Amino acid sequence: MIVFREIILLLFALSALLIAVQCKKELSLSERVQQLSDAGTKKPVLRFNGDKFRQYVKGTPRNYSTIVMFTALAPSRQCGICRHAHDEFQLVANSWRYSQGYSNRLFFALVDFDEGPDVFQALRLNSAPVFMHFPAKGKPKKVDTLDIQRVGFAAENIARWVAERTDIQIRVFRPPNYSGLLALIVLLALVVGLLYLRKNNLDFLYNKTIWALGALAFTFAMTSGQMWNHIRGPPFLQKTQQGNIAYIHGSSQAQFIVETYIVALLNAAVVLGMILMTEAASKRDDVRKRRIYAIIGLGLVAFFFSLSLSIFRSKAHGYPYSFLLK
Amino acid sequence: MLFNYRATAHMVHNGYYPFLNWFDERVWYPLGRTVGSSVYPGLMLTSGSIHYILNVLNVPVHIREICVFLAPIFSGLTVIATYLLTKEVWSTGAGLLAACFIAMVPGYTSRSVAGSYDNEGIAIFALMFTYYLWVKSVKTGSIFWASVTSLSYLYMITFVGFQPITTSEHMAAAGVFALLNAWAVLRYLQSVMTKADLTHFFLGVLCVGAGGVLLVVMGLTWIGVVAPWSGRIYSLWNKGYAVPIIASVAEHQLITWFKFFFDLHILVATFPVGLWYCIKNINDERVFIVLFAVSGVYFASVMVRLMLILTPVVCILAGIAFSTLLDANLKKEESLQPQAGDCNDDDDDDEINSSDNTAKLRHVKHKQQYNNNNNNDNDDGVGVFLRCVIIIVTLSMLILFFLHCNWVTSNSYSSPSIVLDAYEPDGTREIIDDFREGYSWLSLNTPVDAKIMSWWDYGYQITGMANRTTLVDNNTSNNSHIALVGKAMASNETRAHSIMTQLDVDYVLVIFGGLLGYSGDDLNKFLWMVSIAEGEHPDEIRRSDYFADNG
Repeated sequence: MIVFREIILLLFALSALLIAVQCKKELSLSERVQQLSDAGTKKPVLRFNGDKFRQYVKGTPRNYSTIVMFTALAPSRQCGICRHAHDEFQLVANSWRYSQGYSNRLFFALVDFDEGPDVFQALRLNSAPVFMHFPAKGKPKKVDTLDIQRVGFAAENIARWVAERTDIQIRVFRPPNYSGLLALIVLLALVVGLLYLRKNNLDFLYNKTIWALGALAFTFAMTSGQMWNHIRGPPFLQKTQQGNIAYIHGSSQAQFIVETYIVALLNAAVVLGMILMTEAASKRDDVRKRRIYAIIGLGLVAFFFSLSLSIFRSKAHGYPYSFLLK
Repeated sequence: MLFNYRATAHMVHNGYYPFLNWFDERVWYPLGRTVGSSVYPGLMLTSGSIHYILNVLNVPVHIREICVFLAPIFSGLTVIATYLLTKEVWSTGAGLLAACFIAMVPGYTSRSVAGSYDNEGIAIFALMFTYYLWVKSVKTGSIFWASVTSLSYLYMITFVGFQPITTSEHMAAAGVFALLNAWAVLRYLQSVMTKADLTHFFLGVLCVGAGGVLLVVMGLTWIGVVAPWSGRIYSLWNKGYAVPIIASVAEHQLITWFKFFFDLHILVATFPVGLWYCIKNINDERVFIVLFAVSGVYFASVMVRLMLILTPVVCILAGIAFSTLLDANLKKEESLQPQAGDCNDDDDDDEINSSDNTAKLRHVKHKQQYNNNNNNDNDDGVGVFLRCVIIIVTLSMLILFFLHCNWVTSNSYSSPSIVLDAYEPDGTREIIDDFREGYSWLSLNTPVDAKIMSWWDYGYQITGMANRTTLVDNNTSNNSHIALVGKAMASNETRAHSIMTQLDVDYVLVIFGGLLGYSGDDLNKFLWMVSIAEGEHPDEIRRSDYFADNG
């Protein structure tokens, strides 16, 4: 009888202990969420060291996701890209903080290498920055690491990746960039000021040579492919594996920036040569000067056109024609 | 072009009004397409009328022959129109050169081969002819030329769906027209009102007028009569706006300098010379050409299809450039010296008149000889030899241009797009006729009302050659339908099967190039399918799901 009572007491004590432990766990979860959301309201990107990381990001149970950026922001680490990534990450976190759907389901955090090297070691990270998503349940999978090589770390791409992983849409709000507008206003003011100063003599607007030069400059820029450069952003030039510098891209589908400058110069030289030849033949100046113009013009046209033809040949495989140069 | 042919054949067999009311239920299943209202009627009207006229004259030509040869005939007419335009702007010599250039230049011949039955082949002719009439009416100021110009313009815009009068891209032109009218009214009022009254009136009318016009345009856009900037045109100005369906079309890509040189060869290096001379000797019609050239060169560099618009003006300006060069070098020069010498001669003659006649004759002869010697020395300021060299070099460059055009046209623009060829490692040529074989299989082995699902590139070909109903085709007018097809292509079998049964699909057509190394197959286009599907169904299709581990 007494044993029976003791057994019941023991069971009661055990269950009380269990309940106490459970309560402690539940308290822990709501406590953690409370602490996180308090901190997150003040600072959208929370800074964790190793302990905080283990408690908040890895500690179970969780009913929230965390997006963590592993970075190395100390100046001694000399990680310039970490700073850029940090700015973009901050943008996403701020947009989330002030968005309408803001809730306790998602938090943004940051672990610096100097504050939490053990975390880097535990996760076997040896580069920075790394963006990882820690879901509420389970371990992060391969897709929970943002593939920066392919996608980059622009705020919009980070937000898209977050939406893919967590189904939470964040609309990234970039504070408007007024520098472009300011530059435009300054330019306009300069132009208006110049016009006002020269208001007595506006004849320079009628000067045909200036208009002609402007039109020609625009044409050279366009026909050498500057728009392609502007959108596709090719490299300036390329160093080949043998160590030589390649000025001309080998394929006909792409070009380097220096290549477009070369082509623009060649076109300009041909145009200049042809104008010289025509002027030499039709003007009424000193004979010797005209002869020199004509010879220079002829040389320019023949040589630089051959040059552009040979560059064209090097890109168009199988093209059989050439002029003076191979 | 298959769609254009099918539409024309339908019009010829059924008549014009049934064609306008034609609702095609064999395309874009299950939506169908109101062809009559959505097509640009100019092409069908032109070939339909030619067919009608020939048949009335009892020359029985099948509509297919007319469609195939329409583009070359009209490119011949374009050559004539270019000659006329350049003659008006500069001179007959320039006109002839410009006409020769446009007859050969690859930028234009690529779009006007026999069999390419498309709007471009004829629209360019209409364009050049309209511009010629416009320049003529500007020069002569006569109402006759102006009215003929507007008729020609009306003909031109039937090829582009009357867009120049209804879309907001063209509202600027309408605004200029309104401005011209306002200017004319002002000039008239200036002659009847006093200055003070006029200033007040002018300012008041200006404010009211500008505000009113703006409100009207905004109102029309809001109602929907004037369409907002279409996606294609907007993407020309803002290259950051790249909706997948527009960015994926190969013809909308940016071009490198290589494409300029490929399509225009020496003309791209010499047309700025023509531009220079047009600006230096500016007059009314040359302003037009200059504006045409500058805007053309910008738009051609942002969209490769618009190279076609740049080509005629490049031919005109290059014709002007070569014409001035050759004119200057071929003309016999007048010399400066003898003019001063002539005056001296007269004085001397007067002096000698008083003396002996024979002495005078001898003196005069001596002077003449001296003058002839002078003439020989100072005759050609630049020198005959030098001018000959210049002319020979210029002609050899033009011969190179001719060779280049031949090579480009025969290599790149001569292959039919539906029969491919491939070269074995040892150089033998294999003809790949898979497309036509596949379509004929479809046509022979499937029921007549079978629905074929494929990617939109093959839509017109399936409808035209296999004569089966398709889901999406090259018209790409319904983006969400295309996204649905893309989703079906990109999903697993269960989901794809449910989408396909919903759409009543019986057969699926897929192009696979793995066996031959054909790189333009559906697997290559697969990422576009995913992108377009993701645009409409972002929660079901994600681009990152389809990337391999290494990206």
